[in-house]
Amino acid sequence: MINTVWGSTDKPVSSKQLAESLSAHQELEGTLYIGYPIIGTPEGSFPIDALFLSPEKGVILIDLVEGRALTSFVDRQDEAYNKLHAKLLQHQSLISRRELQVKPYTLTFAPAVARAPQVDEGEDHLVCNAASLVGTVNGLPNINPKFYAPLVAVVQAISNLRRGRKKREVARADSKGAKAKSLEDSIANLDSRQSAAVVETFQGVQRIRGLAGCGKTIVLALKVAYLHARNPDWLIAVTFNTRSLKKQFESLITTFVLEQSNEEPIWDNVRIMNAWGAPGGKDRTGIYYEFCRDHGIEYLDFGPAKNHFGSDKAFEGVCDLALNAGKVITPKYDAILVDEAQDFAPNFLLLCYEYLKEPKRLVYAYDELQNLGTKSLPPVEDIFGRDPDGTPRVQFLPQEIGKPRQDIILGTCYRNSRPVLATAHALGFGVYRQKGLAQIFENKSLWYDIGYESGENDIEDGAEVTLSRTPKSSPEILELHSAPDDLIQFHVFENSAQQTRWVVEQIRQNLQQDELIPDDIVVINPDPFSTKAQVGPIRAELLKLDINSNLAGVTTIADIFTEPGTVTFTGIFRAKGNEAAMVYVINAQDCFDAPLAREVALIRNRLFTAITRSKAWVRVVGIGRGMAALKNEFEKAKEEDFSLRFQYPTEEERKKMKTVNRDMSKAEQEQSKKRRGYLAEIIESLDSGESILEDYPDDLVKRLEAAIAKRRAKGPKIRKK
Amino acid sequence: MTPQIVLQQIIALTTSLVELSLSNEQNFPTTAGHVDHAFDISVSNASTLTIALRNVAYREIYAELERSRCFNVKMLDGALITLRYRFKDGEISEHTLSYFPAPDLEYFQNDPEIYLDDDLYADVVARNIVTFPIRFDFNSDPERFVDTHHPYSHLTLGQYKNCRIPVCSPLGPLAFGGFLLRNFYNTAFQKYSDAIPASTAFFNKTISANEQKIPHFICGS
Repeated sequence: MINTVWGSTDKPVSSKQLAESLSAHQELEGTLYIGYPIIGTPEGSFPIDALFLSPEKGVILIDLVEGRALTSFVDRQDEAYNKLHAKLLQHQSLISRRELQVKPYTLTFAPAVARAPQVDEGEDHLVCNAASLVGTVNGLPNINPKFYAPLVAVVQAISNLRRGRKKREVARADSKGAKAKSLEDSIANLDSRQSAAVVETFQGVQRIRGLAGCGKTIVLALKVAYLHARNPDWLIAVTFNTRSLKKQFESLITTFVLEQSNEEPIWDNVRIMNAWGAPGGKDRTGIYYEFCRDHGIEYLDFGPAKNHFGSDKAFEGVCDLALNAGKVITPKYDAILVDEAQDFAPNFLLLCYEYLKEPKRLVYAYDELQNLGTKSLPPVEDIFGRDPDGTPRVQFLPQEIGKPRQDIILGTCYRNSRPVLATAHALGFGVYRQKGLAQIFENKSLWYDIGYESGENDIEDGAEVTLSRTPKSSPEILELHSAPDDLIQFHVFENSAQQTRWVVEQIRQNLQQDELIPDDIVVINPDPFSTKAQVGPIRAELLKLDINSNLAGVTTIADIFTEPGTVTFTGIFRAKGNEAAMVYVINAQDCFDAPLAREVALIRNRLFTAITRSKAWVRVVGIGRGMAALKNEFEKAKEEDFSLRFQYPTEEERKKMKTVNRDMSKAEQEQSKKRRGYLAEIIESLDSGESILEDYPDDLVKRLEAAIAKRRAKGPKIRKK
Repeated sequence: MTPQIVLQQIIALTTSLVELSLSNEQNFPTTAGHVDHAFDISVSNASTLTIALRNVAYREIYAELERSRCFNVKMLDGALITLRYRFKDGEISEHTLSYFPAPDLEYFQNDPEIYLDDDLYADVVARNIVTFPIRFDFNSDPERFVDTHHPYSHLTLGQYKNCRIPVCSPLGPLAFGGFLLRNFYNTAFQKYSDAIPASTAFFNKTISANEQKIPHFICGS
């Protein structure tokens, strides 16, 4: 079975036929890339129509012909071959002496050509149509299998980049500095799911979901770069909520476009901008501002918007006004990518949608859990509305063979280690809270989506469940570098002065003994309204020790999160979307309890966000009884080896809580219903004797048996939707 | 005021601004020479400051100073505060105290709440204030002194070439900091200027009799 990664292509018909022809052959293994890779050459970017990566045959470059005219296919194949050959030659793992050990094959796939020209034995320039494709591929000589793994790495790495690494000098191999360095090195590469997400280009609305730290921002930035390299004349916008992301996007896109095309991005066509924006030129503009300007709608800035709609609903309010201004909307963009979509009201996505030309390529990435309970995005059918006849304008259809994926889940969290992430969830949901859960999602299957596995009991109303993260969803490499007691610590202090002293001393040690650099350290105060008052004394004390610091988020260059050479202090808003090796969460007692239930969820979310900024170590500190109680909750999580063990709330209990309903699309619900229907049908027909087991493919029956046997052995673990 | 006291005051001012969370970033003062002879108190990359005297757009001046980190303190609204003093034989001979606000950024004055609440939308507030640079310059060189036209100690507003408002004496670091906070940072609810230490030391008067007859600036002395 081959896996197809759908990129952006200007040859849709032949691409589809290619994918179908290859997928039809179950025995074929490998990955088919459509519209990928793009190879940077001295003359600019060189896009490849399609590439088939097979464990047996290695790399096959495919030249696609949409019509009947083959024209100069020999030249095209030669050119593609030479470019890729040159690229592959740069990788030592594929070379012996001076020779590339896995030479790419080239072929032209022309489904509309009834009879491909006769190709001689040993001829390099193959031509085939749907009928002859698989035969031709099978006829190619096999590669030495030991080169397949490095080849996969290299082909994926063409779309890859190393993130700018910090300069650090490390003397001791076991210092925190050395560990931070090795962590940075080992997670610098994209995994296959991330690379596929970069390339897969859906002609319409596409969403990317995943936890914080799963690489959404990178994937989105690379996607912008990929689309731009592929279609330099498209007008593409990428937008977000946290201003500090701007610089990150800029550097990621620049690096990647350079790599793909050996040219700087054309910034007139790739716009990195705020969602809101303001007049004042390229650096200040934003989607909403431009939308108003282009359509002659009154633009509101934050001040008046806040007065009209309140601080929380300010942006939602202005978007509403703009959308309902009764203007005829002129589509402008070819693609808009929205990061942190969970932070926007859904009508901002609608505004982007309206602003897009057909086929309305809107990509939005979001973390359903950045706000553990308060608001998540509604189903797409509701976000984008319906046509006059009642059909939804956007639907998530079940994944089809030969189509790019529309709904992508990035399941592996590369930022937080298992103990850190599980602690953040335990505290965020209040799993070990004396008063019981603070919040929970409505949709149980979300637990599986975000990488938890249930133990003996399936997640059922009222059942005693134990949820743990798996090595797949939380790679072990992230936690093995340090003892669990070092990864995450909770400390209770009697007063603020004591807390200050401790934090100052720890930071001093981090810098002087642990070989961390100031940029590695972030101090987060979760209560946004007290941040400035709270961080002042600590910063002043550090200053006395000659340790310089900066206060993030209120700077002129709001887009830069860390100032080189200084320790960053920040409130919770600016902390979002950013990360550091060592995170101090101060005054965590503010996140323990609140008079209103609704607020409990809110402050617990802040704690969750703060803890999950950590790439390696986290220290949660605070004052007094609230902090002591938080520490207790942490100790319980630790006793359970960072599993979440609790009685799953019943429906009634859940209703009481502020709940998140994952936006399970109507299509998903439809499909799962359909599947149940099929199974019921099969069983009925077996019962009635209308069919017998032998009527079904042996292999399928065996797999079903195995699944049932496994369930018996481990206890039920059915993903209930 | 001795060089030692000036240095202490700069450090005290910086620390206070950090403690008040009005300082976003800060650099320590640098010193050169010997306190009893020729002694300079400055900031790193101080040579960049000469750009402020050239005929370039203010936006570029600001960007250059910020880029080279030529400031003692960068305030939370982006304004850059720089203090430079020069002493000869223990006596003050020159100072340049400057305040360069961010030319096109969110202004604390307009909506201080937004800064204080760490709000996400601080960059989309209304902007009806015209910011202007402020410089207090002092030079004890009698050669440069021209009665009423070029006072020993003078205040220049908005980079106007011939703006030299007479000041009665050189200005100490805490006095300068207090002046800025009182006029540009205090809000209805928070009197930041009260939170920085008061100066107990002053410089001697340098203002001429004629200068006292025209509008001039009196500071503690």
